[in-house]
Amino acid sequence: MNKIFGVALGILAAIGGFVDIGDLVFNVAAGATFGYQLLWVVVIGVVGIITYSEMCGRVSAVSQKAVFDAVRERVGFKAGLITLIAAEIVNAMTLTAEIGGVAICLQLLSGLPYRLLIVLAAIVLAIVVWIVNFDWIERIFGYGGLCLLVFAVAAVKLHPDWGAVGHGFVPHVDTGNKLLYGYFAIGLLGAAMTPYEVYFYSSGAVEEGWTVKDLGLNRLNAIVGYGLGGFLSFALMIVGGALFLGKGIDPATLGSIAMGAEVPLGQIGLLLALIGILFAVAGASIDTLFSGAYDLAQFCGFEWGRHKSPAGAPRFTLTWIVLLILAMLAVMTGVDAVKLTEFAVIFSVVALPLTYLPILLVANDKAYMGNYANGRLANVLGILYLVIIMIVALTAIPLMLLTNLGQG
Amino acid sequence: MSESIDLGLGLLDHQLLDKDGRRCGNVDDLAIEGGPGEPAEVVAILVGPDVWRERAGWIGRIAAWVARGGRVRIPWGEVAEVSAHVQLKKTAAEYGLGRGDDRLRPYIEKIPGSHR
Repeated sequence: MNKIFGVALGILAAIGGFVDIGDLVFNVAAGATFGYQLLWVVVIGVVGIITYSEMCGRVSAVSQKAVFDAVRERVGFKAGLITLIAAEIVNAMTLTAEIGGVAICLQLLSGLPYRLLIVLAAIVLAIVVWIVNFDWIERIFGYGGLCLLVFAVAAVKLHPDWGAVGHGFVPHVDTGNKLLYGYFAIGLLGAAMTPYEVYFYSSGAVEEGWTVKDLGLNRLNAIVGYGLGGFLSFALMIVGGALFLGKGIDPATLGSIAMGAEVPLGQIGLLLALIGILFAVAGASIDTLFSGAYDLAQFCGFEWGRHKSPAGAPRFTLTWIVLLILAMLAVMTGVDAVKLTEFAVIFSVVALPLTYLPILLVANDKAYMGNYANGRLANVLGILYLVIIMIVALTAIPLMLLTNLGQG
Repeated sequence: MSESIDLGLGLLDHQLLDKDGRRCGNVDDLAIEGGPGEPAEVVAILVGPDVWRERAGWIGRIAAWVARGGRVRIPWGEVAEVSAHVQLKKTAAEYGLGRGDDRLRPYIEKIPGSHR
């Protein structure tokens, strides 16, 4: 019973931890621009992240290797190094956007000056990561992020046209502006399949000493955690569609996203939305912070671990401190966190094949995986998604430029 | 140890662990001896950013320059086991591995809570 309880708690934390600033920005903006038409893309993205997370978790459980161990061993030093550089750049952009998001939420909640709050946010994050055991970090931010469920209530309260919502789950293109539609589709896929999630997930599996006995837990975590996380994405898009579509409002700030809960639910809705966004984005900051340090440590072979004390993995510790300071300074330049989020998601799409191809190769390698190599379902999905990812990666930047970052 | 391993996939670029299981670098390159017509033999594992210079053109040289590390040569006889990782017979310090972490640790330890 205790074990089931533990799993349930873990899943709750995963739901709260699924949504980051990329999901918030792209889902609400997609809703505001195309109503519910792009809901089907979220489904594709969620199945994609489930497929590859399950694969990464399985590789970690069977071979005790995290993603970047596998990347370097499998594609070699040079391609691995290029992948590392791409991953670190995207990761730093994402981290900067998330920290900017934390500061914006704090500002909306407190009214204090933005730049002061950036520094405060970075200091508090550093102290939390330094002194708090990671199990507690996961719980605190995961449960806090559950406040985002207010968007699910808001989505219902806004009385959307459920027929149109249902139609949104059927793949279709029903617009004159196909380029813009394509841009949002790519952004939604990128936001759902952000690579830092698999770096983080697989490293955690290695640290927690998963073995083949944990493969069931791995599958459950991936399917239920990301699946229910996807449910929040639907809610965000429905709110965006019901509230902003056709009103000429571009929800280009986190404040306007939070308004999505305020309009139907009042002050309490706004407060819950802001707290939910704050915890979700702060939790994602910590995840990206660790992901950047994991990738470097695994590529170079030095000691790492979020469950180790700071002195137990010195270069790993130094790496995340440096990343945090760089991100803090980058936010201080006054860069628009929401714009940066769009850049980060689109660039992460370009880096996706570099991450997911080695995982697919390793998960198929009998020498590593023995009887636990990919079965037919994992391979069909894995290859299908790799093709989707490659097409999306090739078209992401041209679409971003052609649509002027989704401004049409 | 299994009878045969594929050097490219089963050894090169794998994680090194010392006898206590500490992560102390990757197999950055292999020293292989044997003239034409003779059986080739792995005689040592090469570790450290200095080795990267020869592995990835100019990007490798930049990475080596940024990481500023030297090169450590571990005789093949020091390898205890090759499985998912490559385990060595002695501690990292005895080979001069993991020095970056060892040099940095005293500074990290000055901050309270570093051993939580």
